[in-house]
Amino acid sequence: MTLVERTRAALTRAATVYRGSGFDQRIAEVRERLDEPLRVAIAGRVKSGKSTLLNALIADRLAPTDAGECTRIVTWYRDGHTYRVTLHPRSGAPRQLRFTRDDGAIEVDLGGTRPEDVHSLDITWPSQALRGATLIDTPGIGSLSERVSRRAWELLAPDDEETPADAVLYLMRHLHAKDLEFLHAFHDTEVSRPNPVNAIGVLSRADEIGVGRLDAMASARRIATRLATDANVRRVVQTVVPVAGLLAETAATLTETEVRQLRAVAALEVKPAEELMLTADRFVNTLPELGLTSIEREALLARFGLYGIRLASTLLRQGALTTATALARELTERSGLTDLQEVLGSLFFERRDVLKARSALLALDSLARSRPRPGSPAVAAEVEEIVASAHPFNELRVLATLRAGWLGGKPAVVDELERVIGGTGTAPHIRLDLPPDAAAGQLRSAASEALLRWQRRAENPMTAHEMAVAARVAVRSCEGLLADLNGRAR
Amino acid sequence: MTQPATAPADGAARPATAPAGALVDLGIKACAAYGREDLAARLGKARGGLDDPAVHIVVAGEFKQGKSSLINALLGMAVCPVDDDVATAVPTFVRHGADKTATLVYDDNPPRREQVDFADLRRHVVESDQGSRVSRVDVTVPRKILAGGLVMVDTPGVGGLGSAHAAAGLAAISVADAVLFVTDAAQELTRSEVEFLRQAHELCPTVVCVLTKIDFYPAWRRIRDLNASHLRMVGDLPLMPVASPLRARAVRANDQALNTESGFPDVVKFVQERVGGGAATRRSADAAAEVVAVCDQLVSQFSGERDALADPAGAQRIVEDLNSAKRRVEELKTAAARWNVTLNDGTADLTADVDFDLRDRIRKITSEADDAIDEVDPADMWPEMEEWLRARISYDLLGNYTYLRRRATELSEQVATHFHEASGEAVGLLKVYNPTPLVEERPLEHRIELAKMTAGKQVMVALKSAYGGALMFTMLGSLMGVALGPIGIGIGVVMGHRGLKDEKKRQLERRRAQAKNAMRRYCDEISFVMGKDSRDTVRRVQRQLRDHYTGLAEELNRSTATALAGASDTAKRTQAERQKRLKDLDAELTRLRQLRERAAKLS
Repeated sequence: MTLVERTRAALTRAATVYRGSGFDQRIAEVRERLDEPLRVAIAGRVKSGKSTLLNALIADRLAPTDAGECTRIVTWYRDGHTYRVTLHPRSGAPRQLRFTRDDGAIEVDLGGTRPEDVHSLDITWPSQALRGATLIDTPGIGSLSERVSRRAWELLAPDDEETPADAVLYLMRHLHAKDLEFLHAFHDTEVSRPNPVNAIGVLSRADEIGVGRLDAMASARRIATRLATDANVRRVVQTVVPVAGLLAETAATLTETEVRQLRAVAALEVKPAEELMLTADRFVNTLPELGLTSIEREALLARFGLYGIRLASTLLRQGALTTATALARELTERSGLTDLQEVLGSLFFERRDVLKARSALLALDSLARSRPRPGSPAVAAEVEEIVASAHPFNELRVLATLRAGWLGGKPAVVDELERVIGGTGTAPHIRLDLPPDAAAGQLRSAASEALLRWQRRAENPMTAHEMAVAARVAVRSCEGLLADLNGRAR
Repeated sequence: MTQPATAPADGAARPATAPAGALVDLGIKACAAYGREDLAARLGKARGGLDDPAVHIVVAGEFKQGKSSLINALLGMAVCPVDDDVATAVPTFVRHGADKTATLVYDDNPPRREQVDFADLRRHVVESDQGSRVSRVDVTVPRKILAGGLVMVDTPGVGGLGSAHAAAGLAAISVADAVLFVTDAAQELTRSEVEFLRQAHELCPTVVCVLTKIDFYPAWRRIRDLNASHLRMVGDLPLMPVASPLRARAVRANDQALNTESGFPDVVKFVQERVGGGAATRRSADAAAEVVAVCDQLVSQFSGERDALADPAGAQRIVEDLNSAKRRVEELKTAAARWNVTLNDGTADLTADVDFDLRDRIRKITSEADDAIDEVDPADMWPEMEEWLRARISYDLLGNYTYLRRRATELSEQVATHFHEASGEAVGLLKVYNPTPLVEERPLEHRIELAKMTAGKQVMVALKSAYGGALMFTMLGSLMGVALGPIGIGIGVVMGHRGLKDEKKRQLERRRAQAKNAMRRYCDEISFVMGKDSRDTVRRVQRQLRDHYTGLAEELNRSTATALAGASDTAKRTQAERQKRLKDLDAELTRLRQLRERAAKLS
């Protein structure tokens, strides 16, 4: 039985136990959630560029963005057949809202409800990007005065609580790793709890790190790599990816007009172009012969930022990119969004069944414990049974232990362990550290070798106790790999 | 404060103190001529203060706001290393020198200095993994803007403004002459930045906010206006928008227009005139006040003898008065003198109060931390807990230090008042029988109220020696090496389902107990070390005040004794000798009066 099937079975049992108790709806919701797309929340401190990144991922300027603090209400963006905005108040029934969309972002009319009385907004929008994942935009984590907030560490412990999101993107600005603000960045507990198995760090506003120099993204990548190895960061996110959010959003929604205006800049000689783009003020006010009004120039700046304009005009001048589509693709690539999407794919989407089952089991567990009824202890026991025995969960648990730095061993062995249990991606070639085009035979022999290696480690009396436990999990992973590969061959 | 007429516009502050220097030299010559080496030594110190003007401008701000870039752009050369990622980790003191040099100062006792290659500076200044014990770096560069004694201090932004490092920065600010607070135009001032500014402004009256990176952020004007309204709440601090890259470019190309566009002329002007010039004026005034005080002592020394000479009949009475003045001055020197009693009692009170304040603060922190630990799992929160605790303690230590500083200044003022009252009486006796217009015109008010001027200064001298390296903050980091792991978290993998929950709970309790213990031990250690430190500081303040006023009493004593000897001698002189001596004395007094007048003008 697969994990999802076992989870469904547990839900069926729970539905029987709770029939007529007023929790039918709750259980139905959990069951539906198993069939829905993965829910990914975008979290981080205020002004870290959450809405901008969300727009880039949807490739549409849906979420309102602004230089001031903008998102105040938790907003869900999901795929659907119609355009609809639903308001969920803190108390009372949900109702549909009127909205307008003139230029870019959706403007919602709350209809007299105060923002603090709104629990969440639900925006249904037909969109290719939303078909794979439901995105949740969150308000920034509030003030500095907020005391050390509660955060659970254990992955799937029965005393864990259910969270609305299955996975989280944590946006962080470039801060010092010892900065309290930086550590606080992971404390958005409203929609999800950070955990190295379901969280990815995004070094946002990456173009600002090099103050808009053309090599700014290279700097950002270096910093992200360093951050990803920092002990404090490793315990909460799997990896860190740099993204220039504004550029990514603009690239995803680039217009022909904008490309035409950029071509005018690119047509300048190198020297005057450099002078023009030296400062934001100069770009707006100097060189009247450019043929752009100051309003058009300000609009360009707002869409691209100085870094985006410098980069795009340089790319256009080099002449390799002839169409707007080609330029958009190159800018998306350069903004780091492509990398982020790949990482999302290998770390979240390939593992979505595990992540969704995890959310469902957590919800079920908290229900069974907080609302006891005849038969509910059996439901709790079944959940615990699944959580403790299902191999994917064991993998995640070892991963979490390893990420917390509590699994000693030679660095090479620890690295191999992380790969084998799927810490860097669940595809066979990633687990076995082979190129993507490796032949089936090559994969099989690598898997057999890994199996033998981990069996030896698990049985070696010199292996530390915890590493031996982890090695047994790795053995199961290898066995699973081999079974998969053989099944594919047959 | 008025600008001295000679203050040059180009910021070479040395000539600004030249008149005061000449004045002090004259005073020293006079003291030597009258055989008063003690007074000459005092003026020598004032001379030293003039020659070593050292105006410290501290550049502070959050991580990655462009502090080092600002200094580099200001100086027009790459001095402080700039990097996209790693930050400045050690304070860098940049001062004037004929050559480019770099010296590392190690945190040993006594501090060890090591000269390094200027080109290698980057390796030592930016943060690195291996913990070095370099406590600061001294750099000299041949830049004209620094020639007036200006010292630019680049501070580490590590850890953010809410951290222990920031508290150390504030401690450094408390002895600085001015602060340039750096924030970039990416966003308006954050709450922690405003809080930092508020505290900095309390500790140092001259604070300027510099808005950087205006070349990159199109919305910088909006940010500037928002910041201006925040700054109004802090106390109307000036705000200067700048673009460091433009300035660097302007310096390279020698482009005046570009320089103006970079916004730097304002910063340069501020640094040179308000800080450079202002400080020179202040130093001149201090030195001149010393000259005035010394002149007064010398005048009082001669006036007794002169009065006796001019009025032979009253000579006996004058001698008697002088005798009684001498007795009073001698009383000033004894332990029973009121100022001395005030000082001793006040010191005892101060020690007790500061200690209580510290204990109270630590007690509150401990209970707060206890509560926090009860709410969380220390395994999750420990790194953050550590930072939080460190920051919290630093801020309370800073609060304790500020309290000590305030109370010590109050004590110093009290002692000054009492000394002034007692000495004024004694000195008053010297002037009562002054029949000549010379002295009548200018009643001999003994300006022992150096008091007001030096009251705070004496305390600062003591504090500066104590907090020079902000020692207390550097030791904070070394104590907190409490490891909570390895914790048998893998147990979940082994034990399967049953009992997992209980085991987890048990382990959590154990971790909490462990964390609380560690935290308490740490707080104990801190209050122990800090208690000793603040007691030492108070003792140093006491010693400084005692030595200062004992020295003054000693000088007074000599003045009075010399006057007495002179007056007694008059009886033995012939009429001709008297006339001659009277003429000499009048000449001396006129010279002294002129010197005093010149000094009074400057002070």
